[in-house]
Amino acid sequence: MEKNSKLPRDIFLDQIHAAARNNKNIYVMTADLGSDALDRFRAEMGRQFIHAGISEQNMIDVAAGMALNGKIVYVYAMAPFVTLRCFEQIKVAIASMGLPLTIIGVGVGYSYEDAGPTHYATEDISCMRSLAGIEILTPGDEQSVIQAARLTFAKPALRYIRLDRTYLPTLYNEGDNRFMQDGIAEIDRGETLCIMTAGYMLQKARAVKVRLESDGIKPGIIDVFRLKPINGQVLRSVLAPYSKVVTLEEHFLSGGLGGALVEAMVDNGIRKDIKRIGIEDHYYCENGGRNYLHQLAGIDVDTVTDAVRSFAKL
Amino acid sequence: MKQESVKRDIQLLKERSQWLRKELFELVMRTKKGHVPSSYSCAEILVALFYGGYLRFDSKDPRSPTRDRLIISKGHAAMALYPILADFGYYSKDELLKFTKSNGILRFYPDNSIPGIESITGSLGHGLGIGCGYGYAAKTDGLHYRSFVVVSDGECYEGSVWETALFASHYQLDNVVAIVDRNGLCIMDETENCVRLDPLEEKWKAFGWDTVAINGHSYKEILPALDRAVANSSGKPLAIISNSVKGKGISFMESKARWHNKMPNDEEMARAREELMVNCILD
Repeated sequence: MEKNSKLPRDIFLDQIHAAARNNKNIYVMTADLGSDALDRFRAEMGRQFIHAGISEQNMIDVAAGMALNGKIVYVYAMAPFVTLRCFEQIKVAIASMGLPLTIIGVGVGYSYEDAGPTHYATEDISCMRSLAGIEILTPGDEQSVIQAARLTFAKPALRYIRLDRTYLPTLYNEGDNRFMQDGIAEIDRGETLCIMTAGYMLQKARAVKVRLESDGIKPGIIDVFRLKPINGQVLRSVLAPYSKVVTLEEHFLSGGLGGALVEAMVDNGIRKDIKRIGIEDHYYCENGGRNYLHQLAGIDVDTVTDAVRSFAKL
Repeated sequence: MKQESVKRDIQLLKERSQWLRKELFELVMRTKKGHVPSSYSCAEILVALFYGGYLRFDSKDPRSPTRDRLIISKGHAAMALYPILADFGYYSKDELLKFTKSNGILRFYPDNSIPGIESITGSLGHGLGIGCGYGYAAKTDGLHYRSFVVVSDGECYEGSVWETALFASHYQLDNVVAIVDRNGLCIMDETENCVRLDPLEEKWKAFGWDTVAINGHSYKEILPALDRAVANSSGKPLAIISNSVKGKGISFMESKARWHNKMPNDEEMARAREELMVNCILD
């Protein structure tokens, strides 16, 4: 699969940079996570760049004060820190006052492979989606990162943008932005069974699909670009060709992507056979890389292939 | 309200102090909901800001971009603002009678749906950061308003306060004023018996703030400190350590931790009302 030449964070921040040149109300705050694009932003944008110190809580509160003054603010840090460390700040100072803020979390799931549980974001979805009024986007390739970034300054709102730390293969052609409208998009048509996932795991789902095709199973692949809110009508129509649904995530099963989708299906009266695949309740302090962590957690391509095959044959 | 046009009449401010204590007491007693002692410890600061002409505001245009921003970060005492905001016409005085009622707009803890309230508070450790957001925006927009943030001493246990203290000093937010209501008590006990805060003024100084310590119930000391705050262009934010008495004005509540959210019985209410007939503020 073709990989993009720029990291998701750089693609995103370059879009913000271009917008900020023409809009002095755009500010980017960081809690000391860098990137090439952020270095460029810092060098050029003067006071529109704010290093907040390694102080996520203060960063969110200051961002609230800026947003109350009509500023379009981005807060940028590693995903586990810019969500959980300052969760109550986001609840009180941002969500409860209905303020717009773009929270950019870099390194979702096991992106920071070999770093250990401090740097893994395996409970960010369940926490963040519990906040009222938040929108959660997991862009899975360059086009979706670009479109997500443009949305944040075109229509400022409280959004959590989940970015992978790694290069991502192409999913969408330029100009194909149906995921923006619908939030959920079928990227591969299948038969009977589909796999719903997002971000980094889409490439894994496609690898599973290739394996299964030799068994005569043709799973559809569905990108859950926008995990919150989920449009029930879109969900119904996307799932119409399928009777079996597998959800796949690099996140704990409690309250994650699978949980959100199951809730949405129940709430919208969409009845399917469902299997959720995600990380069982455990924190891994192990070396060996992201694929090895996936093996331990039971979300590697082999294990998922077996699980989907069994589920398909039920 | 223009700062320079106001004559700072201490006698008038003292009268407002007594008025505010009575109003706040009745506000709380009507529903037996609220925090009298925490409100009383910062009463003179609030009276001075509003009636001493330090705060620039327009109740007819509560969101004017050039207004000063006041945040009571110790949100449990923000109810002390309610009588003042009604007095200046932000909302009808009838709202004071409807405090916490389903047909009223005033709640136990404030939020920015209430006219004159800048930000939600009630969870400690947020107000100063939000105030610094205002301060940073003012600087980049070339506007000259200030952020006044009333922080409690117990609130200084929150790490986020010190994150913000670093931030404000680094970005030279001399348009931010922290007023630390040093009443010496948190809910359970004296702060020094819980986890020591002293020397508190030195801590703010060490974080790069200018500081001044005052008697928070003496206008003779409050006014010069606020004069300094509104003239500040030192490149450093200013922390006013306002040494105060929790429950000031009702003798049996003064400096008694258990009165934080305890409600008086009928006899105690009568005694409190009697004491409030005498102004506890001397100068």
